[in-house]
Amino acid sequence: MKKYILFFLSIIILNSCKKETQSLVRIEGKLLPITKEIKSVQQIDSFILPYKLKVEKEMNTILSYTKKDLVRTDGILESSLGNLMADMCFERANPIFNSRTGKNIDFALFNYGGIRAGITKGDITTANAFNLMPFENSLVVVELTAKKVNELVQYLIDKHIANPISKHIKLAISDNSYDLKIKNKKLDPAKTYFVLTSNYLQKGGDQMTFFSNPVSINLLDYKVRNAIIDYFSEKDTIYSNLDNRFIQIK
Amino acid sequence: MKRRNFIQKSTATAAFLTLGGLSLESFGKSTRKHITILHTNDVHSHIQPFDVNHYKYPNLGGVARRATLVENIRKENPNTLLLDAGDIFQGTPYFNFYGGELEFKLMSMLKYDLATIGNHDFDNGINGLYAQLPHAKFNFVSANYNFKNTVLDTHVKPYKTFIKDGIKIGIFGLGIKLDGLVEKDLFKETKYLDPIEIAQDMSRILKDEEHCDLVICLSHLGYYYKSAPSKISDLNLAAKTKNIDLIIGGHTHTFLPKPTVTKNSIGENVLINQVGCYGINVGRVDFYFDSNKNIASKGKSIIV
Repeated sequence: MKKYILFFLSIIILNSCKKETQSLVRIEGKLLPITKEIKSVQQIDSFILPYKLKVEKEMNTILSYTKKDLVRTDGILESSLGNLMADMCFERANPIFNSRTGKNIDFALFNYGGIRAGITKGDITTANAFNLMPFENSLVVVELTAKKVNELVQYLIDKHIANPISKHIKLAISDNSYDLKIKNKKLDPAKTYFVLTSNYLQKGGDQMTFFSNPVSINLLDYKVRNAIIDYFSEKDTIYSNLDNRFIQIK
Repeated sequence: MKRRNFIQKSTATAAFLTLGGLSLESFGKSTRKHITILHTNDVHSHIQPFDVNHYKYPNLGGVARRATLVENIRKENPNTLLLDAGDIFQGTPYFNFYGGELEFKLMSMLKYDLATIGNHDFDNGINGLYAQLPHAKFNFVSANYNFKNTVLDTHVKPYKTFIKDGIKIGIFGLGIKLDGLVEKDLFKETKYLDPIEIAQDMSRILKDEEHCDLVICLSHLGYYYKSAPSKISDLNLAAKTKNIDLIIGGHTHTFLPKPTVTKNSIGENVLINQVGCYGINVGRVDFYFDSNKNIASKGKSIIV
C-alpha cells in the first residue's frame, strides 16, 4: 500500500509539473506600418523581379491605337467609351453564343459605373484593358421577356446617364414617352430577347433587378476583360463615336 | 471512484507538506513566457510597395519590406507566429497573370504559419485555389466552410495547434457567407456553416479537449457592419462566444490603430485586431504568460 501511494505521489508530482497552467498575465498590441524606412530583403526582391518584368512587359504590350481620347463623359446618355465597351463585347460574344445555341444576341447592356478608366489617345496597351476593367466579371447572355425589356428601358430612362448599350438599341426619350427599336424593330411583346451583360449586373448589381429570374441564363465563360483584350488585339485602330443610340428629344 | 479522488487529494497535500522545501520549488518558480503573433489581412496580391506618387498610400507596403520586419521580430522572439486572415488573392496583375502562385510562394518565403480563406480567394474558382496549394508551405484553416464535396476536402482543416516554448496555441478559421458575394460556379459545393455555433464548438474543443493556453480565431467575417449591426461580424462574434483570446479579422479593410478590447459572453476580455489591407501594416500582439502557480495577479493586464 505504501508503494502504491508513493507511485501515485510521483505521478501527481510529474503531472502537476507538466500540467502547470500557464496564466496569461499581460497582452500588448500594436500596429506596425510598412514604410520606406524598412529595408527590403534582397532575396525577396530578386525573387519577385522576373515576375515583375514579365507582368510589365505584358502590361506594356501595344494592342491597338486610338486617334482620340476614349472617355465615358463625352455625351449625356451615351459616350464614346461606353459605346465601344458594349459594341466590342457584343462583337466578341455573339459568335460564341451563336455557335452554342444557334441564336443571336439582341443587344448588350453594361453600367456606367463599371467603366473604371478612360483611354488616352495614342497606343492602347494591355494595361488600358486592365484599368478599364479591373474586375473578374464574365459575360453572360440573359434571356428576357418583353415585359422585362420594358423594365430595362424604364431603368435607362430613370437613371438618365450614359449606361453603355450596344448599337442594336435605338432609344429616343421625350418628356412623357419614348421610342424604342431593337435591331430596327419595335419591341415584340410575344418575343423573348437575348441580352448580353456581365455576371455582376445579372446578379442585380447597380439595381438592375430586371435581370433577376430571367427565362434563361447562358454563361459564356469569357471574362469581360479578355473580350476587350481580344477585340483590341485584332484591330489596328479603334474607332468609336456618339451615334445617337440613346437620346433625349426636347 | 470518489475514494480514489480522495486519496489523490490527500496524497497531494502530503506531498506538498513533506516535499515543500525540496523539489517543488524548482518548478514553482516564476518563469515568464512570451508569444508574439504577427498578422496581415486582405493583402490582395499587393507584392510591391505602392507608387511614391500614390494618392492614398504613397510608398507604403511591399512584401520584401514586410520580410525584414518579420525577420527582425523573429530574431527578437523565436516564439512568433505569422498569420493571415484571408483575401490573399486579387487586386494586382500579379494575380491575373499567375493565379496566386507568387503570393503563396512569397508567403512561404516569409514563413507564414497559417492562413484562412477569404471570399476573393475563390476568384479563380475553388479549383484555382486548389491548383495553387502546392506553392503554399503553410496550412489553411476554416471551421465553418464544409469542403466535403469539393476538391479542397481534407486540404483545409478546421483548426491547427502549435506549441511554442511549451505554450499550446490553438487557431481556428472562420469564413464569410459566400452566397451573394461569390458566384456559385466558383465556390461550387462549399457549404457555409453558422460562424457562431462553429466558434462556440471550436473554442470548447481547443480549450477543453486540446488544452490550449491561447485560442485565436482567424476570421474573414468583417469587423462590424454599421448599416447591418446584427450581421455576423467580429464584434458580434466576440460577444457571443467565450474562451477566445484574440480574433484576427479581415474583409472590411478596417484600419484599427490599435486592437479593440471587448467583452465575451461571460464578461472576459477579448481582443480583436484588423490592420486594413494591401500589406500596408502588420499587426502585432504579444502574450506574456506566467507559470507561477501562486498567482497573486489573477487576471491579465492589456496594454494597447
